[in-house]
Amino acid sequence: MTEELQQIVLWLIPAAPLLAAIITALLGPKLLRYKSHLPCWSALAVSFVCSLILLLKILPSVEQAATPVKGEVAIAQSAAGPQVMASGFEWFSVGSLHADIELRADSITAIMLTMVTGVSLLVAVFGSGYMSHDPGYPRFFAAVSLFVFSMCMLVLSGSFILLFVFWEAVGLCSYLLIGFWFQKPSAAAAAKKAFVVNRIGDFGLIMGIFLIWTTTFQIPGSDVLFRPFQSLNFVDVLGNTELIKVVALQNPGRIPLICFCLFLGAMGKSAQFPLQVWLPDAMEGPTPVSALIHAATMVTAGVYLVARCTPLFVMAPYAQMAVSGIGAATAAIAALTALTQTDLKRVLAYSTVSQLGFMFMALGCGAAGAELVTPAVTAGMFHLFTHAFFKALLFLAAGSVMHAMGDVIDMRRFSGLKHALPITHWTFLVGAAALAGVPLLAGFWSKDDILAVLKEASHSQEHGLYFGVIRAIAIGTAFLTAFYTFRAYFMTFWGPERYPEEAGHHPHEATPIMAWPLRTLAVCAAGIGLIVGPTHLFGDYLQKTMGLTPELEHHLHWSVMFMSSVIALAGIGFAWMFYVASPAIPASIARAMRPLYLISQGKFFLDEIFTGMIVLPLRGIAILATLVDKYLIDGIVDTVGKVPKSLSIIPRQLHGGVVSSYAGVMWVGVVAAVVLVLTMF
Amino acid sequence: MMTWTQEHPMTIVGLVLWAVGILWLMPGRRASKPRPHKIGVLIVALGLVTFCLSCGKTQSELADDVMFWVFAIGALMSGVLMITARNPVYAALWFALATLSTCGLFLLQHAPFLAAATIIVYAGAVIVTFLFVIMLAQQSGAAGYDQRSSQSLLATISAFVLLGAISLTLQSEKIDIVRPVVVAADSSADSAPIAGNMSLTFNLSPEPPVIVPVMPGNVMSKAKGKTPVGNLKGLGKSLFGDYLFAVELAGTLLLVASIGAIAIAPRREQGAI
Amino acid sequence: MTPDEQRFLLVGAGLFVLGAIGFLTRRNLILMVLSAELMLHGVSLTLVTFGNMHQTNEGQAFTIFTLTVAACEAGLALSLVLSLYRKSHSLDIQLWSELRESDMSGPDFDSSAERGKLSSYDDIPTLTPAGIAPKDPPRTTPSTGPTATRV
Repeated sequence: MTEELQQIVLWLIPAAPLLAAIITALLGPKLLRYKSHLPCWSALAVSFVCSLILLLKILPSVEQAATPVKGEVAIAQSAAGPQVMASGFEWFSVGSLHADIELRADSITAIMLTMVTGVSLLVAVFGSGYMSHDPGYPRFFAAVSLFVFSMCMLVLSGSFILLFVFWEAVGLCSYLLIGFWFQKPSAAAAAKKAFVVNRIGDFGLIMGIFLIWTTTFQIPGSDVLFRPFQSLNFVDVLGNTELIKVVALQNPGRIPLICFCLFLGAMGKSAQFPLQVWLPDAMEGPTPVSALIHAATMVTAGVYLVARCTPLFVMAPYAQMAVSGIGAATAAIAALTALTQTDLKRVLAYSTVSQLGFMFMALGCGAAGAELVTPAVTAGMFHLFTHAFFKALLFLAAGSVMHAMGDVIDMRRFSGLKHALPITHWTFLVGAAALAGVPLLAGFWSKDDILAVLKEASHSQEHGLYFGVIRAIAIGTAFLTAFYTFRAYFMTFWGPERYPEEAGHHPHEATPIMAWPLRTLAVCAAGIGLIVGPTHLFGDYLQKTMGLTPELEHHLHWSVMFMSSVIALAGIGFAWMFYVASPAIPASIARAMRPLYLISQGKFFLDEIFTGMIVLPLRGIAILATLVDKYLIDGIVDTVGKVPKSLSIIPRQLHGGVVSSYAGVMWVGVVAAVVLVLTMF
Repeated sequence: MMTWTQEHPMTIVGLVLWAVGILWLMPGRRASKPRPHKIGVLIVALGLVTFCLSCGKTQSELADDVMFWVFAIGALMSGVLMITARNPVYAALWFALATLSTCGLFLLQHAPFLAAATIIVYAGAVIVTFLFVIMLAQQSGAAGYDQRSSQSLLATISAFVLLGAISLTLQSEKIDIVRPVVVAADSSADSAPIAGNMSLTFNLSPEPPVIVPVMPGNVMSKAKGKTPVGNLKGLGKSLFGDYLFAVELAGTLLLVASIGAIAIAPRREQGAI
Repeated sequence: MTPDEQRFLLVGAGLFVLGAIGFLTRRNLILMVLSAELMLHGVSLTLVTFGNMHQTNEGQAFTIFTLTVAACEAGLALSLVLSLYRKSHSLDIQLWSELRESDMSGPDFDSSAERGKLSSYDDIPTLTPAGIAPKDPPRTTPSTGPTATRV
C-alpha cells in the first residue's frame, strides 16, 4: 500500500464521521428527518473498514518495512514503534510551539480505533431503532457522528495539544448527549454536572501539558538549558526513554508532578474516585448514548491517556501507586454502591465505574517492578477492549428492556421478562456472564490478566504489601461484580412476570434493527476474549506501541484462572440464592445491617458530601459577593452617577421644552456675539 | 461706555423710553388687566421721536424729511403695537400697517418696484391668509395665551442692548464708506487704480485705513449701462442677468414650498403625508 | 455715512429688534410667525438702504429673494400651524413642550380650561365648503376638532 493511500485511509477515519455530522446537522431537521441515520451509518461503516485496514494491513506492513533497516533511523523508528503519520496543516505557531493538525497511528491507536468505530456502528444501528419516534432524531445522529469524529481524533492525535482539543470535544459531545432531552430538568442538571466535574479533570490535564512543555533540561557539563519536550509531540516526549530518564534524574519532582496532573485528567474523564459522581447521573441521556459514550468509549479515554503516557509513569512509581490505589478505591466503592441500586441503568453505570477502577489498578502495577510495566498496561488495555463489548451489550440490552417497559427502568417494577423478551434475555445473560467473569467469556480473560498482574506485583519486594491490599480489594470486587450483575439479571428476567402499566398489555420484543446489534455484540462479548486473549494476539500487537517492551514468553496463570472462576461462580450462586431461591434474604440482611445498607443505597453520600464541602461554601461566598456587589460596588457606582445629576439641576432649567425659551437663549447668544463684534470698532 | 452715554445722550434716552413703553404695553407673565394703553403709547412715541432725532441733521429736502418721519414713526409704532396687541387680529392689522410704512420707506430709498411687490405679497396675500387662520382658529375670541407673555423682560432688555449697540456704532464717526467713483467706460484701470472699485473704509485711528475691495463686476456693468439705482430696468437687468440662476432657484424654492404646504396642511384622511 | 442713510438703517434695526421681541414674548403661534416677518422687513429695509448707499441694484435684487423666501416661509408656517392646531385645538406654543427633561414640570398653562373652552364651541357659524360637494359625505369625524375640520 502506497504512502498516499495510507494517508487517505488514515484521514478517512475521522473525516467520514465529521462529514456525516455536518451533513446531518445542516440537512437533518428539514430534509433527512427520520432518514438522518443514513449518513451516520455509512460514515461509521467507512471509518470501521478503514480502522480494520489500518489494524490488519497498514501497521504490519510498516513494521515489516522498518525492521530490516539498520542504522540510526531504524533505531529511532523502532524506539517509537511502528507508526503511520498523516500530515495535515499547521494550526498555529506561537514562539517555539508549533501545533500541527496531523494524525499519528500506532498499535494502541489502531486497537482503540477499531473498538470505537465498531461499537459505534453497532450502537448507531441500535439507536435508529431505539430513537425511532424521537423528535430529536437528526440531532441525535449529528451528535453521535460528531462524537465518533472527536473520539477518533483523540486517539489519532500525535501531540498533547491536539489530544487536549479533542479531549474537550468528546466532553462537549458527552454534554450534548446527556442533555439530549434537555426539557427534562434532571437531564439538564446531569449534563451540567458531567461538564463541571470533567472541567476539574481537564484542568489537571492542561496543567500536566503545560508542565511537560516547560520542563527544562541542562546538558551536563554546560550551562545550556533547553526544553526537550517543547514540541509536545508524542514521539518527542514519550519516544526517547533515555531522555526521560536523564530528565527525571535532573528534576526529581517534575515527572511525578506531570504524572499526577495527567492522572487527574484521566480521573475526570474516566470517572475515578472522587470525580466519579458524574457518570451515574449521565444515565439521563438516551440509552444508546450511555452504551457508546459512558460505557464503551469515551470513559476509556483516561485509561488510554495513562497507557499512552506509560514512559512517563514508569519514572514516577508513586504516581503509579496512586493510580492503582485510586483505581482500587473506585472499584470497591462503585461495586458496593451497585449492590443496592434498583435502577438497572445505574447498576450498569456503577459497574462501569468499577471496571474502570480495575483498569487503573492494572495500569499502576508497573510500580512494583520494571518487568511488570508491559503486562500491566497490556492487562489494563485488554480489559478496556473486552469491557467495551460486553458493557455496550449490557447497556443496549437494558435499553431494549427500557424500550419494552415504556421507559421504566426501576427493577422493582418489573420481573420475569425472560419469556417476553427472549433475545434481550439471552444477550443480557451473555453480557452479564462476561462481566461477571464466567470462564471462557471475554471478561474472564481480561480480569484474569489483571488479577495475575496484581498477584505478581504483590510478590514484589518494594511495594508488596501495598499491592497485596489492592489485590485483595480486586478479588473482593470481582466477587461483588459477579453478585450485583446477576442480581440485576435475576431481578429483571426471573421471578413472576410483572410489567409496569407504562408498558401496555404486551411488552414488545426488540425490533430486528435493535436485535441484530445485540446479537453481534453478544457474539463478540462471548468470543473475543478467547480469540485474542490466551493466544496473545492482543498482547503481542499492543506491545509494539512505544514505551512497551514486547514480552518474549507467555504463560497462562492457571491458579489465578481457577480462583477467579470460583469467585465468579460463587458470586452468581449467591445472587441466585438471594434473588431466586429465597427472596427474603436480602431484606433481612438489609434490616440487620441497616447503616451499611443505607450507605450503599445512598451512594456513599458522595453527592451530599460534595454539596456540603464545595457547593455550599461556594454558594455562601457567592451570596457574600452578591451583597458586596449590590451594596458596596453598586453604591459607589450610583454615587458617581448622582454627582453629574446633582450638578445638572441648574442647567436643566434651560431644557423646559418651551420653544420660546430655546429661542431666547439663542437670541441672547446672538446679541452677545454681535455686541462683542460691534464694540471692537 | 461712559463716553457713549455722554456723546449720544439722546439715543440712550430714546431707547430707554422706547423699551419702557414696550414693557408697559406688553401683557404680563400672568393674566392681568391691561395697563392704561394711552400712557404706554405716549411713552413709546416719545422714545421713538427722541431716538430718530438723535440721527442728526440731514441735508435732504423738507418733503423727504416729513415723509421719512411719517413712515419711520409709523413703521416702528405699528411694530410696537403689533407685538404688544392682546388681540391677534389687531396684531395682524398692525403688521399690515407696519408693512405699508416699510414700503413707504422703500419708496424713499428709490425702490418703487420693491414697495409695490411687498405690498402685493404681504398685504395682498400673507396678511389675508394670516387673518383667515387667526379667525378660524380663534373663534372663541381672546384666548388665554394671548393675554400673557413669556420672558418679556429678558427679551426686551437684550433686544435693546443690541439696538443700542447697533445705533451707537452707526452714529460713531469712525465708520464711513468710500463712495463709488463712476468712471468712463474707456478709461483704463491703470490710470486710476482704485477708480471703478468701491471700498468700505474703517477709520481705525491711528492705523491707516483698511481698504476692503468690493465686487467690482456689477459696478462696472452699472457703469457701462448708466442706469440709475431703483430703475425697474436696472433691477430687471440685475435679476435676470447677474442673478438668473438664483431666480430659477427661488422659483424652484417656491414650488417646493407650495408642494410642502399642500402635503402638510390637509387632514390625514384627506391625504396628508 | 450721512445721517440721511443712518436713520434708515436705524429704522431697519428697530424693526428687526421689535420682531425679535415679539417672537420671544408672544405665545401665539401665528403672532410668532408674524414677528418673524417683521424681522424680515427690517432686514429688507437695511438691504435696500445699503444698495442705495452703494448705488447698486444688488440690495433690491436681494430683497426680492428675501421676499420670495418669506412667502415660502409664510405658506409652510401656516400649514404647520394648522396641523399643530388640529392636534391641540390651541395656538399656544407652550403646549408643545414634549422635548423637556422628563422629570421637569410642564409650562404653567391652564391647559384643561383653555382646551375645554376651545373645543366646546360647536355652534359658531363657519365658512361654507366651496366647490362640488364630495360624494362620500363624512368630512368631519367626531374625533377631530370641530373648528379645524371646517377649514
